[in-house]
Amino acid sequence: MFGSRCSIGLRFTGTMPEYIDRLRCRYWAERRSLNSRKLIWWIGIPGVLLVIGVMAFAIFEPIQVLPRIRLSPGYLLEDQAGQSFTSEDVRGDIVLYTFRYSGCGDECDGLDQTMIDVQRRLGEVDMGDTDFRLVTISFDPATDTTEVLTAEADAFGADGVEWRFATGEEAHLANVVKAGFKVWYEEQEDGSFSFDPTLILVDGWGVIRGEYEYQTLKSDADKIIHHLDILTEEIRNANGAAGLAYEAAHLFLCYP
Amino acid sequence: MTRTLKIVLGALAGVVVIGAVAYFFVLPQFVPYVFHGQTIQSNQAAPSVELDGPNGSTVRLTDYEGQVVVLYFGYTFCPDVCPITLSKLDRAMDILGDKAEDVQVIMVSVDPLRDTPEVLEQYMAHFNPDFIGVTGDADAVDRIATVYGVYYEAAEGSEATGYLVNHTATVMIVDKDGYLKLVLPFEGTAEEMAADLGYFLR
Repeated sequence: MFGSRCSIGLRFTGTMPEYIDRLRCRYWAERRSLNSRKLIWWIGIPGVLLVIGVMAFAIFEPIQVLPRIRLSPGYLLEDQAGQSFTSEDVRGDIVLYTFRYSGCGDECDGLDQTMIDVQRRLGEVDMGDTDFRLVTISFDPATDTTEVLTAEADAFGADGVEWRFATGEEAHLANVVKAGFKVWYEEQEDGSFSFDPTLILVDGWGVIRGEYEYQTLKSDADKIIHHLDILTEEIRNANGAAGLAYEAAHLFLCYP
Repeated sequence: MTRTLKIVLGALAGVVVIGAVAYFFVLPQFVPYVFHGQTIQSNQAAPSVELDGPNGSTVRLTDYEGQVVVLYFGYTFCPDVCPITLSKLDRAMDILGDKAEDVQVIMVSVDPLRDTPEVLEQYMAHFNPDFIGVTGDADAVDRIATVYGVYYEAAEGSEATGYLVNHTATVMIVDKDGYLKLVLPFEGTAEEMAADLGYFLR
């Protein structure tokens, strides 16, 4: 183990110079061995700690983030007051979108109730300086005129600022809702619509951060309030060292 | 100078040198790169683009696989935002030097009525001969702009400019594998654009 020059034992044999040479050889070999062991400790321990740290980050998720799913679409619509309403009007705000039509009746109860619940419970979230908006987009512009949208908005207490109802040209709506938000809808022969009841959460950059399509045991309102909490926490910690930690959390997929 | 003092001073000098090396050379390797815009982590390829390009060509996003594509939505009559952005992108190409060969800047016109492929070709060459402008029918442009998060609408202009087009002024970066990775704000500088593009060119 000490190399060929040290293969002979330390028992006194041969001449004195030969014995001293063997002792010196043994001394340096042990020093080298000791240095190797030290090196292993110096590199190995931090390495193991780093791996444990990364695993702990991924398992215990000390920081949670919402995924940056894809860009939300740009749009030019008309709101319940007949005013132009564009995606740029809500840039910088967190927006919860839903998609419906005025004739959907009971089918929309769940969606509408979620919007109402989220608006009512917004006080549970520390929004800081970030504004929160609710937007209901109708994909039935032929029926949902400004008057119809106004009546709908009034029924839900949508003030036209915090909660807006909007619609637009049919072809543009298809691009916005179907291609952009990826929410399917189709007009039926009787004039009703088949559609996927969906809520979508978008951040101030116009990036989709949450999609709520399937009812689970936990209500959509609970999930959205929880996700708003996570999102606003990330916004508050966007700069400096905390910002780096949040970027790392995105890398390690610390998604709720 | 005593032996102990020499050892202490030597150790201190060693700590300073090791600390400096760690701070300036080792630590930066472990700090994640911070982009100057918003990153996207979609597992789906960037929405497809198929529009009319220079000389009767059809430009598709997939034509540029292996290159980083910078997508910008603007128009040739644009009085301020578009020329400023395209000038910054040209400056970013200068900063990148030879690496710029692997970057393709594409401007999608949000004014298809006035911006023919010929008009766009002349306009883009004014900023950089390698930049290309694409256009198409109103429906195709609306579909592509919408899915890239871009809003646009005609607005009143002056007699000299004709109508103007209000539009989203962000710059999109699609990586070599065809994934939309980054959205840069209009306020970003050429240096920041070059740095972010450089990251995707590694």
